[in-house]
Amino acid sequence: VAKTSLTSPPWPEVKLPDPVEEAKYHAEVVQKVNKMIATGQYGRLFAVVHFASKQWKITSEDLIMMDNVLEAECGDRIRMEKVLLVGADDFTLIGRPLLGKDLVRVEATVIEKTESWPKINMRFWKRHNYQRTKIIMNPQTVLRINTIEIFPCLS
Amino acid sequence: RYVRQLQRLQLLFSPTAADARGARQFVEEAALDFARRHPDVVLYISPCSGPAPLLLAEYLNGTVREELIASKTSEEITQLATKLAGQSGLDIIRIRKPFHTDNPSVQGQWHPFTNKPSVLTVQGPRLQPQ
Repeated sequence: VAKTSLTSPPWPEVKLPDPVEEAKYHAEVVQKVNKMIATGQYGRLFAVVHFASKQWKITSEDLIMMDNVLEAECGDRIRMEKVLLVGADDFTLIGRPLLGKDLVRVEATVIEKTESWPKINMRFWKRHNYQRTKIIMNPQTVLRINTIEIFPCLS
Repeated sequence: RYVRQLQRLQLLFSPTAADARGARQFVEEAALDFARRHPDVVLYISPCSGPAPLLLAEYLNGTVREELIASKTSEEITQLATKLAGQSGLDIIRIRKPFHTDNPSVQGQWHPFTNKPSVLTVQGPRLQPQ
């Protein structure tokens, strides 16, 4: 059959490696990462956490502000679950979509519970003498991320 | 390690004014509970014949916030006081970013040359191995 411009797709063809070799390679990589975590060879850790319907990229000693009210008092320690990604200088652990709770531990403290700056909500119709102003102040909470820890229990 | 940002709360009211009734009820009933619930806040109660009852809050920054408590019930005053106790002394203005980091990049900041092959191995029109 003659080869036209549409016989093969325009992207370069990729050959997948053998599944057995792949499995061996994967196991080796996992063991190496486990050893690194166990010996503590990582420097700074960052994590992607899903919190208050938003995803935040956080490191330790980090300040985060939410536009809602948490049920914790000022000065309470909070442990965040729903960790999507953890990374260090040499390796990253990607969850699908979440990472296990026995792998990562993210701790934060509630620092402040204030209100936002006064926002003006105004409704105006012209030529109808209709004008309503409303000042809205949302309650906000400020959290400080204390630590991100990982434990060597990969598989 | 958590340090409350509120230093002291000064309650100024006059014992005879009509609009300080809520402040007087607060002092009689709820002030002790509030002081016990927040042991690291100092509460000063001073009856003085000022024009209107005031609640002064001083923070560790040095900022002083005054709130009027004229014609407010004692429950409203307790809510106000707890709100002030949870705040810090920063100005309440529009903040541009809801997050703040000192170390924004861990694996090195991205620039357009990360994950790209280096110049020597790329076969350009002029670079030919001689």
